[in-house]
Amino acid sequence: MTGFWRRHSIHGITGLLLLPAILCFFGLFFYPMLLTIVLSFRPEGQAVGWTLENYTRFLASPDGRWVILLTFILAVGSTALSVLLSVPLALTLREKIRGHRFYRLMVIVPLVVPGLIGALGLLLFWGTRGWFNLFLTQFVPFLPSPLRVNYTIHGLILFYVWLYFPYTCVTTMSALESLDQSIEEAGAVVGANRWQVLRYIVLPLITPGILAGSVLTFMAAFGAFSVPLIAGGDYRPLAVEIYKEISIPIPARWSAASAIAIVMGILQVAFLAMYMRIVRRAGGNAGAVR
Amino acid sequence: MTLLKAYLRGLREGWFVLGYTLCVCLSVFILAPFLMIALRSVGKGWFGKLWLPPQLTWDWYRWAIEVGNIPEVMKNTLIIGVIAVAVSTVIGIFAGWAFGRRQLPGKELLMAIVLLPRMIPPITYALGVAKIFYTLELVDTHLGVALAHVSVCAPFAILVLSATFEGLDERVLEAASVCGANTVKRFFYVVLPLIMPGILASMLFSFTHSYNEFTLTLLTYGPNTVTLPVRTYLAVGDGYWEITSAMAVIMVVPSLAILAMIQRRAKPEKLVGGFKGV
Repeated sequence: MTGFWRRHSIHGITGLLLLPAILCFFGLFFYPMLLTIVLSFRPEGQAVGWTLENYTRFLASPDGRWVILLTFILAVGSTALSVLLSVPLALTLREKIRGHRFYRLMVIVPLVVPGLIGALGLLLFWGTRGWFNLFLTQFVPFLPSPLRVNYTIHGLILFYVWLYFPYTCVTTMSALESLDQSIEEAGAVVGANRWQVLRYIVLPLITPGILAGSVLTFMAAFGAFSVPLIAGGDYRPLAVEIYKEISIPIPARWSAASAIAIVMGILQVAFLAMYMRIVRRAGGNAGAVR
Repeated sequence: MTLLKAYLRGLREGWFVLGYTLCVCLSVFILAPFLMIALRSVGKGWFGKLWLPPQLTWDWYRWAIEVGNIPEVMKNTLIIGVIAVAVSTVIGIFAGWAFGRRQLPGKELLMAIVLLPRMIPPITYALGVAKIFYTLELVDTHLGVALAHVSVCAPFAILVLSATFEGLDERVLEAASVCGANTVKRFFYVVLPLIMPGILASMLFSFTHSYNEFTLTLLTYGPNTVTLPVRTYLAVGDGYWEITSAMAVIMVVPSLAILAMIQRRAKPEKLVGGFKGV
């Protein structure tokens, strides 16, 4: 029995070392999460009693379902666009073209800069009086009125891509860097042209990297808050909807907000689990190619 | 045959040109918003179809500093950032030591649990954090806001420092012991210099996250703890784009300084990472 415990328990000092992290996790994540769950089952504004009304009201209303759908459209759209942008970019930056250091720096700029500032600049740039529309109206013929980008769904997707594509791009670049050059050379030796090497050797091998990066982009886009808050207009994804519930009505509707938050958390975890399975399968295929 | 070769070479150069165009377009896509903000913050009377502002002025900065109370806000942001970085680095060093250097049953599972806050949208637990802080009266205190930031910064610190401690070579420590260093000496003269780059990287990333953190701040701030992101958000709500732009420029300068440091000292992959083992 003592042998069992010696093998399967955390030693005293190790436990002490882990204590701050565990405390932080429980105090700042687990307990708040639990509180949110409890709150979501309470009748609005009361500390006792149990009810499912907060969930049924949100899920049964067409508005609620539209909010969920919108969040998915935005997240999936921006993830797909990020992959389409990142893969060619990573392949280009792999060749040491002139100024590649500068372009690499460009890729990580949105990661470091506050999202709010990015959204503000994007609103200014893509607005009806911004440079984008100035360019369109002055240099593109047959375009009578400026294009509306701000406060539309495609505009939001574009903003998300600006802010969240670095996750996909950086992961793809590091997957490409760790790729063994000799495999490609072997492909070229047996007579594959550049396109075939890319299509049948490089892409399958970096697919796990691309997918892992796109998970990060998807999750960031799914939980995005600051950008849709100031650049969303009438389009309010889940995170903004939660904030509206506690900031606009008086008194604040904490239970309704908590119910939406729990729905959002469950959706995210479910999607993450699905995505991880896909990633694992893709990883297995890549192993078979190797 | 030569025609085919020329065609292939042309195709290859075509790809090259295409790739280069992509890079240039990306740079414009990334940088143009900042240029717009910078110009907006110094421009005056910039209406209609003009590419550049007709007059330049520093007035918006003066307004931002006086009306927006930027020095006070900057002080708040820095105090909160320093507390958050200190707490999460201490947590990270301890947990990193445990994860990287000690026998741990169920290590993968523990790591996944510690990293869980990164997988859930912050707003979901921000609600609970705000509720708790209201009852503990931590709302609108520097410590409270900083503690809320720790929930975002600590997983990063743990991740970076675990990797650092794992990379520490056991033989070096043994060599130090053989040469007669006791535990304390060994820690300060051997271990600390070796893990210093990791600690610096973890501090940089934690500070970036605290500096940029908006969701948790918005739910726990008060009149005395307005941070730069929240101030900018409030200014956007007021609708004065010029003053907001001036604030944004003030806010973005430290971010760019951090970017330069990250570029020089640490790998950008770490800024993203955290999901390889999950």
